[in-house]
Amino acid sequence: MYFREELLQTRDLTVASIKSRYRKTWAGFIWVLLNPLMMFGVQSLVFRKFLKLDIPDYFLFLLGGLLPWIFLTTTVQMGTPAFVSHSLLLRSFKINPMVVLSAQVLDGFINFVASFILILLPLYLFSDRSMVSLVLLPMAIVPLLIGTLGMTITLSILNVFYRDLNFVMGFLFNLLFFLTPIFYPKEYVPPQYEWLIHLNPINYLIDPFRSVVYDNSFELFFFYFLKSMLVALGFVLLAYFTWKRRRNEFYRIL
Amino acid sequence: MSSTESSDSLLKVKNLKVFFELEHYENKGLREIFISSLGHPLQYFFKTKELFYALNDVSFELQKGSRLGVLGVNGSGKTTLCRCLAGMMTPQFGEIDTKAEIRAIFDSGTGVMPELTGRENAYLLARLFFPKSNDIETIVNESIEFSELGHFIDVPFKKYSKGMQSRLMLSLISSKTTDILILDEVFDGADMFFKTKLASRMMKFIESAGATIFVSHSIEQIREVCNQLLVLNQGKVHFYGDIEEGIKSYINLKS
Repeated sequence: MYFREELLQTRDLTVASIKSRYRKTWAGFIWVLLNPLMMFGVQSLVFRKFLKLDIPDYFLFLLGGLLPWIFLTTTVQMGTPAFVSHSLLLRSFKINPMVVLSAQVLDGFINFVASFILILLPLYLFSDRSMVSLVLLPMAIVPLLIGTLGMTITLSILNVFYRDLNFVMGFLFNLLFFLTPIFYPKEYVPPQYEWLIHLNPINYLIDPFRSVVYDNSFELFFFYFLKSMLVALGFVLLAYFTWKRRRNEFYRIL
Repeated sequence: MSSTESSDSLLKVKNLKVFFELEHYENKGLREIFISSLGHPLQYFFKTKELFYALNDVSFELQKGSRLGVLGVNGSGKTTLCRCLAGMMTPQFGEIDTKAEIRAIFDSGTGVMPELTGRENAYLLARLFFPKSNDIETIVNESIEFSELGHFIDVPFKKYSKGMQSRLMLSLISSKTTDILILDEVFDGADMFFKTKLASRMMKFIESAGATIFVSHSIEQIREVCNQLLVLNQGKVHFYGDIEEGIKSYINLKS
């Protein structure tokens, strides 16, 4: 029963935060769409034309990895300071802090869907690939969304204690971008370095998504899906225990 | 006899203890932690953690009609106590025994999204503050009318003065009564409190609640509102009982 109330709160806060952003500046609204478009454009140019990576349908391949990556990293980086920036609200009366963060993550998610459709549609129109596997897209999004939520909640709680956390995360994401098979396929990684990819949890969250957009294989998809659900669950548990352990100090310091 | 007693009791707090590890107060950044852990790794990882008791063995009871004032210098545990009762913090020891609906307010100038208008903020606040309510529309409209903000209600909330912000929020939260009301320094610094139309609404709000916990630094406000007093000192109950006697012990404590 309580769950329903929190869903309503999350819905209203998400709508409000979208409204608030676009009332601040129109440019901000366009930027959230333009940013992934430009990243995609530049990367496909460099890796396809300059470095001449020989991968069939490279645009679709890149899209399947890059868009979820951008969603995850921008949402985490926008969400990490959220508890601190909403500290007055969280201190003023009892609300579930997770509502504030869920709204932040959903806001990022809507941008992600919009920019994804904007790029995906023309790519499919100009390619002769089958679109059948796209019916699995809603399923592929579930672990990505849950994992991102868990990661953002954990980091946002820790950010109350370590206020330079977002700065460190920006640095880490820059490193991780190259250690996540996004613009290159996993098969390019020599066996002795494979552990680097296997240790990277973000890799698992992206896999089902790219599998749907690019691989077109149902068997592979379910294998990826199960793995990524486990990783997503891990992030949710991490968020839960971080909150449980730190909640008193959280309110004290906030 | 004991059954009539327990039917009037709204809240029982028994031996409440809340402690913190002191190192969290230093509020260091990650970079600093990285540097100090490299510089003195053994010291960093094996140093003994000091505990700080924000609440130490606090017990009291609220009956129907109690209006309990809470006095204490800064850091005496007043807000920690209120946060535990509100269900925000979880005490490490002790019991909070209640079936009552508790509503707690710790600040009055809160907006949710400063860029949005007062009306939009009022709607969000109502949704967050009365999650179980089905008549949010009515609550918002009635409070907006009461707040007399006029055309300002459609101006961005961030342009409001502190006074206007409180007027909107206090009008809103006082529109529905509750079993136990906790007001933690909500009116401190607002000298208008006992003079205005809003003040008489707040007094009615306090009186309509089953019981009230009222935290303030102002002895006059405590006298005006409360019929019982709890004085906290370094997390412990220093005094619990009659108002005037308690105020004396508080003044002695401070000097």
